[in-house]
Amino acid sequence: MDTKIILDENEMPKKWYNIQADLKTPLDPPMHPQTKKPVRPSDLELIFPKELIKQEMCQDRYIDIPGEVRDIYTLWRPSPLYRAFRLEKVLKTPAKIYYKYEGVSPPGSHKPNTAIAQAYYNMKEGIERIATETGAGQWGSSLAFATQLFGLECKVYMVRGSYDQKPYRKMMMQTWGATCVPSPSPDTNSGRAILAKDPDTPGSLGIAISEAVEDAATHDNTNYSLGSVLNHVCLHQTIIGLETQKQLEMVDETADVVIASAGGGSNLAGLSFPFVKDKIDGKNPDVEIIAAEPAACPSLTKGMYAYDYGDVAGLTPLLKMFTLGHDFIPPSIHAGGLRYHGMAPLVSHLHADKLIDSTSVYQNEVFDAAVLFARAEGIIPAPESAHAIRIAINKALECKKSGEAKTIVFNNSGHGHFDLSSYEGYFAGSLVDYEYPAELIAQSLKNLPALS
Amino acid sequence: MKIGFIVNPYAGMGGAVGLKGTDGKIDEAISRGAVKESPAKATRFLSGITRKDIHFFTAAGEMGEVELKDAGFSYTCVYHPQYPSGTGKRTTADDTLHTCRECIRNQCDIIIFCGGDGTARDVFSCTGRDTLILGIPTGVKIYSGVFATSPESAARLLSQWDKTSSTDGEVMDVDEEEYRRGHLNTNLFGYAKIPSAPIPCQSCKQISGGDTGRALEEIASFITEIMRDDTLYLLGAGTTTGAVAERLGISHTLLGIDAIFQERVVGSDLNESQILRLLDSYERVKIILSPIGAQGFILGRGNQQISHRVLARTGRDALIVIATEEKLKNTKSLYIDTGNPEMNAVFGDTIQVICGYRMAIRAPLNRETILSGSVPAG
Repeated sequence: MDTKIILDENEMPKKWYNIQADLKTPLDPPMHPQTKKPVRPSDLELIFPKELIKQEMCQDRYIDIPGEVRDIYTLWRPSPLYRAFRLEKVLKTPAKIYYKYEGVSPPGSHKPNTAIAQAYYNMKEGIERIATETGAGQWGSSLAFATQLFGLECKVYMVRGSYDQKPYRKMMMQTWGATCVPSPSPDTNSGRAILAKDPDTPGSLGIAISEAVEDAATHDNTNYSLGSVLNHVCLHQTIIGLETQKQLEMVDETADVVIASAGGGSNLAGLSFPFVKDKIDGKNPDVEIIAAEPAACPSLTKGMYAYDYGDVAGLTPLLKMFTLGHDFIPPSIHAGGLRYHGMAPLVSHLHADKLIDSTSVYQNEVFDAAVLFARAEGIIPAPESAHAIRIAINKALECKKSGEAKTIVFNNSGHGHFDLSSYEGYFAGSLVDYEYPAELIAQSLKNLPALS
Repeated sequence: MKIGFIVNPYAGMGGAVGLKGTDGKIDEAISRGAVKESPAKATRFLSGITRKDIHFFTAAGEMGEVELKDAGFSYTCVYHPQYPSGTGKRTTADDTLHTCRECIRNQCDIIIFCGGDGTARDVFSCTGRDTLILGIPTGVKIYSGVFATSPESAARLLSQWDKTSSTDGEVMDVDEEEYRRGHLNTNLFGYAKIPSAPIPCQSCKQISGGDTGRALEEIASFITEIMRDDTLYLLGAGTTTGAVAERLGISHTLLGIDAIFQERVVGSDLNESQILRLLDSYERVKIILSPIGAQGFILGRGNQQISHRVLARTGRDALIVIATEEKLKNTKSLYIDTGNPEMNAVFGDTIQVICGYRMAIRAPLNRETILSGSVPAG
């Protein structure tokens, strides 16, 4: 059997899968941050193109991928599905481990799957500039890559902790013509307010979102773009899972366990939603779908299912999601992309319906897994992706104990070539195992906005 | 191998009864119900020794002879205390000094003593850097870096020691009168030679005045946010816990346990008995402690009032440990030594340490000490 399972370009899916069509109960609507009433499409037009707003609320099961988007996808798609023979051998497990590798994209992660689509729809509607935030830099560099393909300007607010840790991501954005500033920045009211209160803050995705939303709302012909959380982002990422299913079919396999890391949820959504459909339809009812979260920021595992803002300043609509509280600033873990207080409403809904499970893991055990994986399979994974690897290895070791030959599929969502300083910290023994003190916080989660 | 062995029989008696040190307070400690800590720990040390090539030099009676005799070791009494057991009077620091000098005269390879910082200071004042020393911690205050972490680890260290390897350990002492008034006034006496081996010695206690103000503020902010009106909070010793008190705007005993209910102090500088009595009146109780300096003792040094009896009443989950990241970085290990091995074991391999606002670190607990336990205090 081959190590890589490859689809031809003409086998690349022509439609995204929209899981909203298959939910048992509809999503709770996003609420307007001021009126606390359900958001109307027109409320969002200030910062999003109409087509993305339509996708956000669409109930059609499949949505066409525009030809121009597919053309660009062919630069790296279909991405390979690997059979991790060498990892299996190292683990001495009877499990069959497969991983989808999204690190082959030019920016090195799964993020351009939606960045290309979002830049395209903005360009089609005459938008000239996009503002966004980025955590570890994967999203910022992906949007920088996408916007320059369609001739748009791009301003990226990068969480300061990551900005300092990962200077090469900033240079990538610059190479693709974007402007990248550390967040909080003096460029926005929300950034200035936070800097005045705490000049040394490492920042957070929630803060950076506030800045990017404010930027979009206060600049002409500028839209906002989000790299995760929202329904249309999850939609665009489903190409990962749709390809994976085709690839598994090619080798006559059915997934028993599907794993992806979860920060805002789009990576997990991308791989897992087509498998959730199989679970809902009864085609593969027992497939176990697991969100791998950092112990420092375990929104699904330890959060509350409630309406909360998507950002720190409370500028975004209120979303019904698993949240640690919009004012929570996670510690500066090395998986910067997973430092988000909330979780995609679609993923949250499916978790509440018990269709998606979650587990949180500590930083050092994640890097243990990353190094084990790199030594077995060669690819040095991003710390975010390594969360999924950790759980996959744990599952494979469970199989070793039970003797079960389960088929484990995970999303290796990006390479870690710009994260080597994190590896350096791991090898030096300086990584701290942060965790979210959920039991104590449960006594005081009083910062969620009231809707009444 | 020639080993000097000195037991300060009264060291540590003040701890569980709320006295911060035993010097000059033995009668008060006894009247409060204190029992001797050192003899049992000396016995634990001796019972852990595996090597056979040892001859001890010690003082007569309760300064070492009793335990050595019981353990069946070969020994020589090189000194007889001024007031032997049964005379109604007690041994003094002079007895320690005399014994120490005799051990040196007999060319001991190392002098091992059971005591606290005061005993360490006395021993070091005789040995200087010429003779190695090692402390078995039985005192109330253990700020010096010349102590093994437990009697068992001292025994293991001795079993592995090759007589040549050594390192430096700080000898410090605390002004006991100032200490009782709530002021931590430490002096560096000097650097003693201590044996080096894989078993860790207790690091010199870190004075946590260097904690970053920001981290302390974050911790205090979080802890005060989660405080409930229906819960009694026992706030332990130290500057980290002091930040919580400061945030609440209440007084704090730097080196003792205070009780707080509805943001008011309902008990100051409590001893174990007083704490146990308080537990009769409050249904929900939380205990907020910070590890002691670089030693990393969450329980067992400096917070002896939170005994295994207290923990048996409150449950393990009542414990909230707080420390800044900086302090944890300078702490090689965290230890819990409640004086009861069964109680120690319920804390498992790791513990959550609150290090910021809604932020914690999962830190490993040193299992060696947890499993070995110690004699119940008080």
